[in-house]
Amino acid sequence: MTTLDHPTSTRPIPNPEKSLITKLHMGTGMVVGAIFAFGTYFWLRSGQDMTVAHNVNKVLLISMFMWSLGFLIGIGAFIGPFRWLIGKDLTAEEQLYLAGDGQGVSRYFRYCTDHKVVGIQYLVGVMAMLGVGGTLAMMIRTNLISPGSKFVTPVIYNSLVGLHGITMIVAMIVVATGPFGNFILPIMIGARDMAFPRLNALSWWVLFTAIPVLCSAWFLGGIPTGWTAYAPLSVQAGPGMNAFVATIIIFAVSTAVAGANITATVVTMRAKGMKWNRVPIFVIGATISVALAIPAFPTFMVSMIMTALDRTANTTYFDAQFGGSGWLYAHLFWIMGHPEVYVILLPGVAALMEIVPVFVRKPLFSYNAAIMGFAGIAGLSVLVWAHHMYMSGWLPMLNGPFMITTEMISIPTGLIFLVILGTLWRGKPWMKLPMLGVYAFLWNMLIGGVTGVYLSDVPADNYLHGSMYVTAHFHYTLMGAALTGALAGLAYWFPKMTGRMLHERAGYISFWFVQIGFQVLFLGMFIAGAEGQPRRVADFSAMYKYSNMISTMGAYTIGIGMIVMLWAVIHSWRKGAIAPINPWGAKTLEWTVPFPVPLENFDELPVITSDPYGYGRSK
Amino acid sequence: MSADTQFHIHHDAPEVVGRRERLGVRLLIVADGAFVFGMIFSYFYLRNLNANGGWLPKGAHYLSAGTGWLVVAPLIIAALSHRMAEKNRDNFNVLSVVTLVSLLAGTYYQWHQLANMPFIVHDTGIFEGSYASMWLLIAGANMFHFLLGSFIALGLVVRARRVQIDPILQTWRLRTAGSWFTWIAISGIACALTTTFVR
Ligand code: HEM
Ligand SMILES: [Cu+2]
Repeated sequence: MTTLDHPTSTRPIPNPEKSLITKLHMGTGMVVGAIFAFGTYFWLRSGQDMTVAHNVNKVLLISMFMWSLGFLIGIGAFIGPFRWLIGKDLTAEEQLYLAGDGQGVSRYFRYCTDHKVVGIQYLVGVMAMLGVGGTLAMMIRTNLISPGSKFVTPVIYNSLVGLHGITMIVAMIVVATGPFGNFILPIMIGARDMAFPRLNALSWWVLFTAIPVLCSAWFLGGIPTGWTAYAPLSVQAGPGMNAFVATIIIFAVSTAVAGANITATVVTMRAKGMKWNRVPIFVIGATISVALAIPAFPTFMVSMIMTALDRTANTTYFDAQFGGSGWLYAHLFWIMGHPEVYVILLPGVAALMEIVPVFVRKPLFSYNAAIMGFAGIAGLSVLVWAHHMYMSGWLPMLNGPFMITTEMISIPTGLIFLVILGTLWRGKPWMKLPMLGVYAFLWNMLIGGVTGVYLSDVPADNYLHGSMYVTAHFHYTLMGAALTGALAGLAYWFPKMTGRMLHERAGYISFWFVQIGFQVLFLGMFIAGAEGQPRRVADFSAMYKYSNMISTMGAYTIGIGMIVMLWAVIHSWRKGAIAPINPWGAKTLEWTVPFPVPLENFDELPVITSDPYGYGRSK
Repeated sequence: MSADTQFHIHHDAPEVVGRRERLGVRLLIVADGAFVFGMIFSYFYLRNLNANGGWLPKGAHYLSAGTGWLVVAPLIIAALSHRMAEKNRDNFNVLSVVTLVSLLAGTYYQWHQLANMPFIVHDTGIFEGSYASMWLLIAGANMFHFLLGSFIALGLVVRARRVQIDPILQTWRLRTAGSWFTWIAISGIACALTTTFVR
């Protein structure tokens, strides 16, 4: 028996026999999805001249959307809305059935509305995506081990870079708000569930349907454009590009739904007495992150729909010959893209801020500054997008203003640093696994942030743009800061999510392998970039030989560390030491509920009388 | 003991649920609003850039401003009749049908416009220019609004006849639906205004 098994409660197990919902699960979803996809594919194909790229694109894109739609129909995602439409709402018994009470492991493969199940689904899904993206990264670095290595062809190399990039970006967007935002956050604020449990299940399963779509790119000739998918390159790219377009459109639906759900949960479902200044900082950070994603992502969707139409219907959004413009794409992409990097960063940082007070047993230093920092970052992040376009030739006179707004982001980022440092100041940290992530974050984010300031400087960017320096910069922020934060969060909340402690020794080993490998990889890449090695190119001149060799060694070291981490997670989940209710002695609400967390979390809803960081104060 | 009491799942008070649902819908409207913003931004961006004179090349077709406003009319009627239905619950059955019918009529008209777009070059199949391309996107987004709006309006009509809903919750739900109907009317007006600026 695994720890996922839910002991049967005293409640009768719901069994609404005649209801269709009891017959549907992931398997029926896959079957209906496959029928929809292949049915559409063969049906549309028969009437088309498949030597014309537009027709191929049309057939593939529609088939991909039909897969997603079919899967969702097959798993029962639309039963709720349909029953609403015909005026036969789901009965209480059916709702309880959907919540998965007493269904053991099988509820993880159903349209289950329990936020804890959705959290675990996200966790497993994210780990799978990180695993795939990481494998692609190892292949990229293997190709770059020495000049002229020819491990893969240039065409495949381009695909590897694009697939690695977009897989990781998607994974990183949900890496913290998916697992912890769903599993932990509602308990942290003293709620019985999310605001909209069915939308919660929807957000996960919609995202799930995007995964096979993205993977299909491997078999369709890959994504040659890099994760940014600049037009008109993306319009001219081969059939694999359809997978990119469909993935993003599907994913944008998932983020909008998840964002509205998490935001509404935090705004309306906090426990009695949990005023805004008593909300745990992770909740604040995660909410600002998803709330920022709500207005940011749709512009990406607009750009992808335009790409899809240019590829299938002969529209001319990005074709300069007929009045289109590649700049338009860059704007739409980066108006989403820069806020998005903070959508990724904030929840990871907020998880670390949750961890520091617990392990130094001091209140969070200046809670208000932390909130101002988050809010400042979110506010400014929508005003800086054109720093990605300095060298594109678009309105050079605006480079100066965008330089200033970009550099201003260092101010709220600095506040975040001060909050963490202030909390650590004169504390006696309890050096458990989650705490290591805090130090790694401070170091990595410092490098990531400072190199970002160099890049935001127009003259410097003139030289550095398009080089490996940019790649190193954003890996320091994305992986060094955001992923480190999410992994620390995993070590911290693992006991609550699985009922078992994460293997400490393996965690340490993994941590040091990953962090040391990381410094070696990306410091080497900074050198290559500063010397002028372009990014996204399969081969390089002999002058970059040593820095690339060093980088590849670093990458392999990370790979080893990540495998150890994977082992630690799987081993601990199955056989780890049973966790006490509150292993870290923390004061937030999630540590007051037993494992397995009951269906509605609390027998009696808690009432909050103080902020969650009252360490070392007399009560 | 009926199934519903036997299988108790915790429920909040109707006004709490109602307010929560409205917030959720409003947040989704923010997302949809960002989408509409992205389209309008693109429209004016391409129009003002007019790369290679390709916004509206010589001799290219365009639709008069009036056609855009004709599509908006059903959206406005639907939003108004829903508002009235909310206030005037005795006539709810009639007014909600008015909402539904105007949205369905609008859906049909929008589909008709899309099916008869004049701006595709005959022999190449390419859109005449970026004006034509933008028109397609905006009309498509309107179509999406019409379809979702019709779904909601149909649900309200059916449910008013079949389901006994807690009156407080029902009031909130009508307001929530009203948020959506008002929003699609506003978005329709914004799009019609946008496409008024052809050249
Ligand atoms: C003080 C904070 C930061 C500043 C001033 C900054 C500045 C910049 C600038 C100017 C560029 C454009 C470089 C170029 O293409 O020539 C850039 C690229 C990038 N930054 Fe940052 N950045 C900061 C923080 C972050 C954070 C926190 C993240 C992610 C969590 C991030 C992710 C990225 C990514 C992904 C790119 C490259 C996108 C691409 O071209 O593929 N940055 N940054
Ligand atoms: Cu940026």
